[in-house]
Amino acid sequence: MGYITDGILKAFQLLVTGDPETYSAVFTTLKTTSLSITASLIIGIPAGFFLGYREFRGKRQVRTFVDTLLALPTVVVGLFVYAFISRRGPLGSLGLLFTIPGIAVAQTVLVTPIVVSLTATAIEGLDERMRVTLITLGADRFRIALASLREARYAVLTAAVTAYGRAISEVGVSMMIGGNIKWHTRTITTAIALETGKGDFSVGIALGVVLLLLAFVVNWGLIVLKKRV
Amino acid sequence: MTHTMLYRLQKLTFRYGEQFELDIPSLMMEKGGSFGFAGPNGSGKTTLLKILALLEKGYEGCLLFNGRDAQGLGDTVRTKVTYLLQDPYLLKRSVFENVAWGLKVRGERHGLRHRVNEALQWVGLDPKIYASRRWNEVSGGEAKRVALASRLVLRPQVLILDEPTANVDRKSALRIRNAIERIREEDGVTLVIASHDEVWLHDISGLVLRVSGGRIVGEGTDNIIHGPWISDVSDLSKKKLPDGQWIYGACAPHVHSVAVLKPSSIIISKKPPSEISAQNILSGVVAHMWEDSASEKVRVEIDISGTTFNCLITHYAAEDLKLLPGKKVWVVFKASSLLWQQ
Repeated sequence: MGYITDGILKAFQLLVTGDPETYSAVFTTLKTTSLSITASLIIGIPAGFFLGYREFRGKRQVRTFVDTLLALPTVVVGLFVYAFISRRGPLGSLGLLFTIPGIAVAQTVLVTPIVVSLTATAIEGLDERMRVTLITLGADRFRIALASLREARYAVLTAAVTAYGRAISEVGVSMMIGGNIKWHTRTITTAIALETGKGDFSVGIALGVVLLLLAFVVNWGLIVLKKRV
Repeated sequence: MTHTMLYRLQKLTFRYGEQFELDIPSLMMEKGGSFGFAGPNGSGKTTLLKILALLEKGYEGCLLFNGRDAQGLGDTVRTKVTYLLQDPYLLKRSVFENVAWGLKVRGERHGLRHRVNEALQWVGLDPKIYASRRWNEVSGGEAKRVALASRLVLRPQVLILDEPTANVDRKSALRIRNAIERIREEDGVTLVIASHDEVWLHDISGLVLRVSGGRIVGEGTDNIIHGPWISDVSDLSKKKLPDGQWIYGACAPHVHSVAVLKPSSIIISKKPPSEISAQNILSGVVAHMWEDSASEKVRVEIDISGTTFNCLITHYAAEDLKLLPGKKVWVVFKASSLLWQQ
């Protein structure tokens, strides 16, 4: 048990002394997840809103497909994205393999279904009285759509946080697309996997603590945001 | 061309699945009028109100609004008609934003704060205390008042209210009634109200229509008696009340027929009458009494085994009988006084 206690102590030591290798992984994680979550929200919120708000033929099938994507294993996403962006793939010329943008693309594929599905659920769950109220207060269709999205904002924020949690905690995509290159594409999760494999628990635990801290900051930010908006 | 008739309904029907149907052969409502709809839950009042609020367009038949077919009216007409739901919805914003929202949608931002504060005061909510509160920081009665303020601030031509005083405390109900009466006096708004608060409904409405089973079955304080009716001897039909008393009518056309009993057809007695030809002698308790300004008579509501009977008697009779709420009385009417609705 001693090595676990030692690991926790060393974790704080690494963080307090500003260990460059640890912080490199932290910043790489922040870069990839910031890019992927931004892209997934830009794509996922309008798509989810459309899916939840409008009635169209094949809606149920689309919904089932999106919900199925929620269970996508990270390695499967990694495999597909790898196939597309490797030198032999159709997007090989973009040079995304083993880069931070490459990881971000794959994470976007991974988490966008979460944003789409949870946003659609939030919109579908809106109170019918809200629509009647908006109409009777004189709103046109555009205003009703905008106000509906605003009424669902807490659920959409929760969708964003859930998606962020998925992006920051995944390891398969970062490993396969990023390659776990030290100082370059090594993220917190890939570093933990590597250090644990090497038997260096202290660095692994340190990075685990950082991961938990980041999750805490994001959720606390959500609570603050909910009180303000 | 100006139309004094605001609504004209002809052969209007609305189906809600297989179960419920609204059927209005003809109804006209003039501008500036005040119309009350009374009837039991599920009778079709809310559906009718939604149709009049131009929210429900899945009906068949004809509805003319201001002389124009309501089916073809665009969004702009919605700014003239506003509707308060029985269970209102507040937007997830502050009270101020809730009341201001309709004005902002209309682009009426001039004097916004003043207008919103004024509307909040109409419904008895101090803007200094309530304007900044969030939607979830007000009670049920206050929420209803906020929702009413958000309609009143729009200064609509037609104000349609579904049970505006239901499920709120007495203070909120009083504030709501005052605010509605105020806008009616100041703006001459056309009022359409569905309410179980019959005393107030008769007070504020020029015409009260009684709705039952999706049909307008009577006017004013007419008593509506629902089936099921059981055939009895001597060409009579009867209906059993929960306390075991029976109501007799002359041969009901159908087991579920609806009967109308005019208030003036009812005789009130202090003692159980005997040796009279009337079939119906029912004991009950006086629930409410109020002066009917239109007829200059006294309206008496008598509770008989959970069913309210409206009676219309003279001042002299009311004084002679020493009627007071809570007093036990006997209600007498002939079986032939029940008029069957088709």
